[in-house]
Amino acid sequence: MYFRSAWGCNLALSATIGIPQALLYYKYFPLWEGFLKGLGAEVVSSNITTKGVVNTGTSVAENELCLPVKIFFGHLIELKDKVDALFVPRVISVEQDTYTCPKFLALPDLARAIDVKLPKILDPTFNTRLGKRRFYNSIFEFGKLFTDSKYKTWRAWQSGLAAQKAYQQKLLMGIPPFEAIHGGIEEVSLTGDLRIGIAGHPYNVHDPYINLNLTKKLKKWGAQVVTEEMISPKTLEHEANKLPKRLFWSYEREVVGAAFHWLQTRSVDGIIYILSFACGQDSLIQVLLETEAKKHEGIPFMSLVIDEHSGEAGLITRVEAFIDMLRWRSLS
Amino acid sequence: MKGFLGVDVGSVSTNLVVLDERGNVVSLIYRRTQGQPINAVKEGMKEIQADLPGDIEIIGVGTTGSARYLSGVMVGADIVKNEITAHAVAATHVVPQVRTVLEIGGQDSKIILLRDGIVIDFAMNTVCAAGTGSFLDHQSTRLGIPIEEFGSYALQADVSCQIAGRCSVFAESDMVHKQQMGYRMEDIIYGLCQALVRNYLNNLAKGKELLTPIVFQGGVAANAGMKKAFEEALQTEIVIPKHHHVMGAIGAALLARGTVRDGKTNFKGFEIASIDYQTRSFHCKGCENNCEIVRIQVSGKTLACWGGRCGKWEVATAEEAELLLQTSI
Repeated sequence: MYFRSAWGCNLALSATIGIPQALLYYKYFPLWEGFLKGLGAEVVSSNITTKGVVNTGTSVAENELCLPVKIFFGHLIELKDKVDALFVPRVISVEQDTYTCPKFLALPDLARAIDVKLPKILDPTFNTRLGKRRFYNSIFEFGKLFTDSKYKTWRAWQSGLAAQKAYQQKLLMGIPPFEAIHGGIEEVSLTGDLRIGIAGHPYNVHDPYINLNLTKKLKKWGAQVVTEEMISPKTLEHEANKLPKRLFWSYEREVVGAAFHWLQTRSVDGIIYILSFACGQDSLIQVLLETEAKKHEGIPFMSLVIDEHSGEAGLITRVEAFIDMLRWRSLS
Repeated sequence: MKGFLGVDVGSVSTNLVVLDERGNVVSLIYRRTQGQPINAVKEGMKEIQADLPGDIEIIGVGTTGSARYLSGVMVGADIVKNEITAHAVAATHVVPQVRTVLEIGGQDSKIILLRDGIVIDFAMNTVCAAGTGSFLDHQSTRLGIPIEEFGSYALQADVSCQIAGRCSVFAESDMVHKQQMGYRMEDIIYGLCQALVRNYLNNLAKGKELLTPIVFQGGVAANAGMKKAFEEALQTEIVIPKHHHVMGAIGAALLARGTVRDGKTNFKGFEIASIDYQTRSFHCKGCENNCEIVRIQVSGKTLACWGGRCGKWEVATAEEAELLLQTSI
């Protein structure tokens, strides 16, 4: 069986497909891996972000893109010689009446536009705005690359969903994405005299290269770290709905929902928000969060803006001072 | 007599302070770092030792500033703290009711908000150093006016001259332009102070509630023009502590006082001024990041290493550092 003409490929069914460890990897890797494996493909993901990945990514990327997208390109390039095709879905919408970031909408096109010869890019469209039927039609359409059987595609998607459900259960328990995917931690015990909520896009919060190892540093300094994945989607939704106008970006709704939840329940001592310098949504969310945080006296809020020029010294000074401030308060 | 030593090594100045047990300044040294922090600390130690009463016993040391880890290893610090905390501690010591601290140093500026003696919010300049001491320094050299006299020039201004303060390069272009138009130097200098204050308030104080008493510290607080411009912009009186230029070091000494118990200090003594320290850097081969690691040595023996993303080099003892060196290069 060979890839069909829609993607212009003629690769064998047992094709190796690469998934970059960047951007939506942190959200959907188990779903995508399960789906592709169910269709008969081999799945390879890239390694964690390193200086080399960042350098290649930033050197090929359009300057105005945000750092996470530039890093995504670095991962694509790292994978290019190891795989037959790259999986870069066009994620337009993941729930009703919302969109994702415009760069996600254009991601396969952006990837094709870089000046490096890449293997075939497989870009199924995930769009829930148009209803369930249209959504599944695009899944079946993609499945045709591997199989004539709609049933097999359906089964593959279901096994992806099952893997995704198990993954989200682990995240909810506090296991970080990397460990939830690769194993290593089965149970999480939160210790530390301070509890800090880290808000932000998962690809910023969980990529130790992007955030200059923030999570590890906080733990080393004796703080517990909580993230949006540890809050149920229902709660995130409920909290985000407190905004006077419904946010139409899904992932940003989750960031807002998490921060609002921590503020509302006063379940953290402080919130650190990690944002990308060139991110349009982040720049708006930052103001929403700052404004809300001011209404909840006693829970300090700090933003850390990160891009490829970020210096570690400035970040450490700020985070140290933030921790000192929280400890100082709890002493008095 | 017992005392606490505070060392603040910043980008521009290196300051040392010795406080007595009640927190009064016994002696202080303010000198230029001149890009050589090790040398600056050694010279500073020599100078302050000469200035101190002979019977002084240092029972605690704290370091702060951007070279706090380096200086901490050199002097044997009991506590190494970031400069935001150090400045806040010093400000509350001098003005206990302080609710706002404005601090402008050589290459960074900070705002710290306190309520009832506790820091509740702070900000530090991120992507831009327009409006810090280095820029004023540069302008004083360019205009041929000693930095010490900058303030008195500003105070003699009749009218203030609008200078674009968004970016220090453009601010300079604008000043050159105003000079060429024929504006008085005094008016231009005061205009510059106002531009820097505007820049500071827009960058750091945005959305923050600046309540009195307001304390202005850091090297730039010596500039009376800056004080006047702040007072004008904020419509209130600004307090400048007597030792405004060494507040970081005072904070570090106070933090040492709070840390050291039972007189067990790590202080290595003033003799460190005669030790020959070498720093080397190398690329760690532990992973693909190839981080640059700095190593500080005394006659071939490693005292400490730092740098790198994973944090493995920041080990507690020199022996552990040596062990890592054998395995990771």
